Amino acid sequence: MRGEGFFLTPPKARPRFRLVNAAALIQLAVSAAAVALMVALAAWATRGRGAPPLDQAAARALLADEFPGRRVERLWLAADGRGALAKAGEAALVLTRMGDGYAARHVPWDRAQAARVEDGRVFIPLSDVAAPRAVLALPDWPPKGLAT
Amino acid sequence: MKAAIDPVTLATPFFIATVILEIVLARFGALKAHYETKDTAISLTMGLVSSVAGLLTAGASFAAAVWIYQHRIFTIPMTAVWAWVLVFLLEDLTYYWFHRLSHERRFWWAAHVNHHSSQHYNLSTALRQTWTGGVAGTWLLWLPLSLIGFPPAMVAIQKGVSLVYQYWIHTEAIRRLPRPIEAVFNTPSHHRVHHARNPRYLDRNYAGILIVWDRMFGTFQPELDEEACRYGLVHNLGTFNILRVAFHEWIGMAQDIVRQPRHVLGWLFGPPGWTPDGSRDTSARLKAEWAARQAAPEREAA
Repeated sequence: MRGEGFFLTPPKARPRFRLVNAAALIQLAVSAAAVALMVALAAWATRGRGAPPLDQAAARALLADEFPGRRVERLWLAADGRGALAKAGEAALVLTRMGDGYAARHVPWDRAQAARVEDGRVFIPLSDVAAPRAVLALPDWPPKGLAT
Repeated sequence: MKAAIDPVTLATPFFIATVILEIVLARFGALKAHYETKDTAISLTMGLVSSVAGLLTAGASFAAAVWIYQHRIFTIPMTAVWAWVLVFLLEDLTYYWFHRLSHERRFWWAAHVNHHSSQHYNLSTALRQTWTGGVAGTWLLWLPLSLIGFPPAMVAIQKGVSLVYQYWIHTEAIRRLPRPIEAVFNTPSHHRVHHARNPRYLDRNYAGILIVWDRMFGTFQPELDEEACRYGLVHNLGTFNILRVAFHEWIGMAQDIVRQPRHVLGWLFGPPGWTPDGSRDTSARLKAEWAARQAAPEREAA
């Protein structure tokens, strides 16, 4: 075989699979570093450009999009503007900030009313693997004078 | 196991460079793109881990293709131009049906939902790939190509080409391309519709490279200027926990089966949102309700 013997290692002796594995590991490490760089760039590019706090109009518009046909009877905005909770019949409509967007779920009103309150924050279980709970800054929760 | 030429690996530096370019140019207002830090981190990590997860099943799927190829009907040469044209068309048709199945049946949606779970639409969203696609077994759909007689490496290369093609269409930076291109190819505009959660846009534009399949099979929907795309899922994620992002639909499906095992077939193979009592939203219902709301003001006006 050409090249075999004095100068080159015979092909059989080459640990080829190890080289492939090493290449894959290097590729993975470089990709991970690239991911870190891109995330850092995204953080830099979006600094100071977060979503504005929710106000009544924005919250109602979002609720209308997420729950078309549901009539909002009362609306509570989170003190930090990062969510809202509305009563619509026997349901509580919940908006909670996700990055610069929102996730929306509805739960029975009783559950929302009985939710745990701690340090002015309400912890509402949503019973959904994809959205396990909403945490809303509602210091005066639960509301008084509302029939369940 | 991969083909000798892997277009996705070759394109990875291009992916990285263009994501960086999109972020920087958007930062200075030179093009339209919205990034959010945690969302970007999830998308890119999903992509990174999916490349590892894919290796776990790639060997089995490639071995299956090789075995099928040994029982092939024809022998199609990898060196013929006509063979590449044919594999391009047939692979793209296969992709259409794979993609449609992945949206319309929950078992496969559980694997594909990850790709749609971002509320953003940018180049990083393209890299938000499944970890469980191999386990879901959708690679079986490509086996008939090997049975026909396309060498497995040829099919693998064409699948890679399709994936690379679909990368650049995940952007808001390109509004519309010239009409002949929009008529034939999947474009950023068509694919924005596919990622939108507006009822009008749900379950539309499944194409990989050629949009003609959607036109042929009745699933085409053009992007409308009067209805901006809202991206994400019908019920958007309420967490950035990457394990929940990756597995939430599988877990939800398992919980449903444990709760009501006699409906196991419906839970597995019904459309996403299917329940025995109709208490959740399916795409069909959301579209019907939306159409009814659209028709209501018209009836009142008449």
